[in-house]
Amino acid sequence: MTTTTGAMLPEAAYGPQEGAVKLTMLLGGVVFLLMMIFGLIMRAAQGGMIAVDPALFYQIMTAHGAGMVGTAGLTGAAILWYFTGRHVPLLAGVYWAFLGLFLLGVVCILAAIFLGGYAGAWTFLYPLPALSGGLWGPGASVLFLLGYVSIGVGFLLLHLEVMRRLMARYGGIGGALAWPLAFGKGRPEDAPPPAVVAAMASSVFNTLGIVVGAAVLVASIVNLLVPGFAVDALLAKNMIFFFGHVFINASIYMAVIAVYEILPEYLGKPWKTTRIFAIAWTVVLVFVLAVYPHHLLQDVPMPGWALAMGQIVSYFSGIPLIAVTAFSLIVYLRAADMRWDMAAALLVLGVAGWSVGSVPAILDGMIVVNKVMHNTQWVPGHFHIYLLLGEVAMAFGFMAWLVRRPLAADARPGAARLSGLDHGVFMAYVAGGAGFVLMFLVSGALSVPRRWAVHVPDWFLQDRLATLFAAMVIGAALIIVLRYTAVLARRAE
Amino acid sequence: MTLPRLSLAAALIAAAWVFRAPLEADPVTHILVQLPLLALAGALLPGARGTGGAWNRGGWAMILTAIFAMAFWMLPRSIDAAVSDPAVAASKFLSLPLLVGLPLRLGWPRAHPLLRGFLKAQALAMLGVLAFLYTHAPVRLCNAYLAEDQVRLGTGFLATALALAVLWVAPLLGAQGAAAPARRHRSVS
Repeated sequence: MTTTTGAMLPEAAYGPQEGAVKLTMLLGGVVFLLMMIFGLIMRAAQGGMIAVDPALFYQIMTAHGAGMVGTAGLTGAAILWYFTGRHVPLLAGVYWAFLGLFLLGVVCILAAIFLGGYAGAWTFLYPLPALSGGLWGPGASVLFLLGYVSIGVGFLLLHLEVMRRLMARYGGIGGALAWPLAFGKGRPEDAPPPAVVAAMASSVFNTLGIVVGAAVLVASIVNLLVPGFAVDALLAKNMIFFFGHVFINASIYMAVIAVYEILPEYLGKPWKTTRIFAIAWTVVLVFVLAVYPHHLLQDVPMPGWALAMGQIVSYFSGIPLIAVTAFSLIVYLRAADMRWDMAAALLVLGVAGWSVGSVPAILDGMIVVNKVMHNTQWVPGHFHIYLLLGEVAMAFGFMAWLVRRPLAADARPGAARLSGLDHGVFMAYVAGGAGFVLMFLVSGALSVPRRWAVHVPDWFLQDRLATLFAAMVIGAALIIVLRYTAVLARRAE
Repeated sequence: MTLPRLSLAAALIAAAWVFRAPLEADPVTHILVQLPLLALAGALLPGARGTGGAWNRGGWAMILTAIFAMAFWMLPRSIDAAVSDPAVAASKFLSLPLLVGLPLRLGWPRAHPLLRGFLKAQALAMLGVLAFLYTHAPVRLCNAYLAEDQVRLGTGFLATALALAVLWVAPLLGAQGAAAPARRHRSVS
């Protein structure tokens, strides 16, 4: 905290932006809740507990996917902005433009789905948006894609602002990524703090993803308006999954900044940028960009080297960051007299969920496994682990921290423990979340297909148990969001 | 300083004119060599007085001028007309230096670094879109060029996007590149 590069700005410099971030997290929390309810409806419908028209089911699925990915990105970006603002001054107008463009995009997407009937999933894979079988018109697809464009422009502005400030302060991209420490003779005490390294890395790869995404979005829009411009389906899929994979990963990598910045308050010691940490983030920067072919393992026209690269990078991608972050966290936790509250518990859960979720993900990234598992519920199983128990847990942890009680009220370190309602809510979130994702994994192992609106009775048991677990998670999330809202309202009075 | 720049600008325009036939025989050299040469010539011209005024605050006026002029020359029918109609050809030799290159030079240094970054990202994405359009178009877009020519042009757009990405990102990796944009953010007189 006292080094040249690690010094934080005075609170007056970043405090004014706290309101915008708190508003964002409120919006994010509410949307998370709504999307969870959409998820519960889908699982209940699959379990035969309620009747949902299949056309509506796929609209809900599309809204759930786009809404969850978008909100994960939104909350991750809010965390990135908030903590980057501690180290460099940021233009508040850029954040408001980002939020405005995001909300504009949300309006377009919701209108496309629930007014236009678009139900081609959040991945908008060519040629599905153009081949609706009469369920929706090209106008709805175009509106959906324009919503993405608006959101993408907002993220681009936000990342450009973050990157230019970090580059100016820390000496280029390399300086902000701590390359002098990673690959040179730099000293750890001169290295930028972990939040800066993470902010720069995630901004770099998310910007690249957005640029590629913009190109494929415009190409898809042109195809919808002038069908003669047929898109090369494999090229479009490569570009879409490059963009989609990078974006959803970036949401987690941005959210983990909260862990680096908040947990030290509870641990009583700073999270330091070490040589291993710096190398890990640079490796992650490369791996996040190179690993996307593991989404295309069933596309036989793909070059063999690309698929092999996807599998090999999948093997290794879990090591550099998750291992470094999770291992470091365990070391910190063991050595420190931890001061537990809801924020700390959710942030630690976020790292745990992120780490555990990578295991079934790596399994699915193996070509021989993917051949069998790709179109089963194994896939939503693994990504719900590192989203529901990873990114979303970190976002809820950040929200809890924003409305935390002053540390002085927690008495001496180690004295504070989760108790009463907090303990119940946290355990309901963990148990409900774990049970919910486990049902997906069990169903996947039993070859239950994913994305089917109607299930046969043999699959009902897991569907109904998943619905029950989803209700537990929603109950816990509702209390977290309500408490956050109530504290904000009380402080605003 | 002015005379060498003027001479170089004149030389570039002259080269674009003298080698007009071979350059325009192929859409790749026409679009990706001759047009940038003309724009570059404009960027070398001395700045007009008064462009540092409030009307050009943030470089918006000049940059918008350049963007609209570029948009015109992105249309395949404009390129077609430049090959077949001497009046349009003449307007190309005038408009690219005066409405693209020169305005960019007068607007770019005054633009906010964020706008510059956004425009660079937009340029890369748009080159990707053009690459898609020219490689996937179901019909010939220009009467003057063959279908396979436009596919090569599409590939050229993609290569240009990659080259520009490297050109723009590589300097930012080190400390010197990071400081440069801040120094360039100044008014033009």
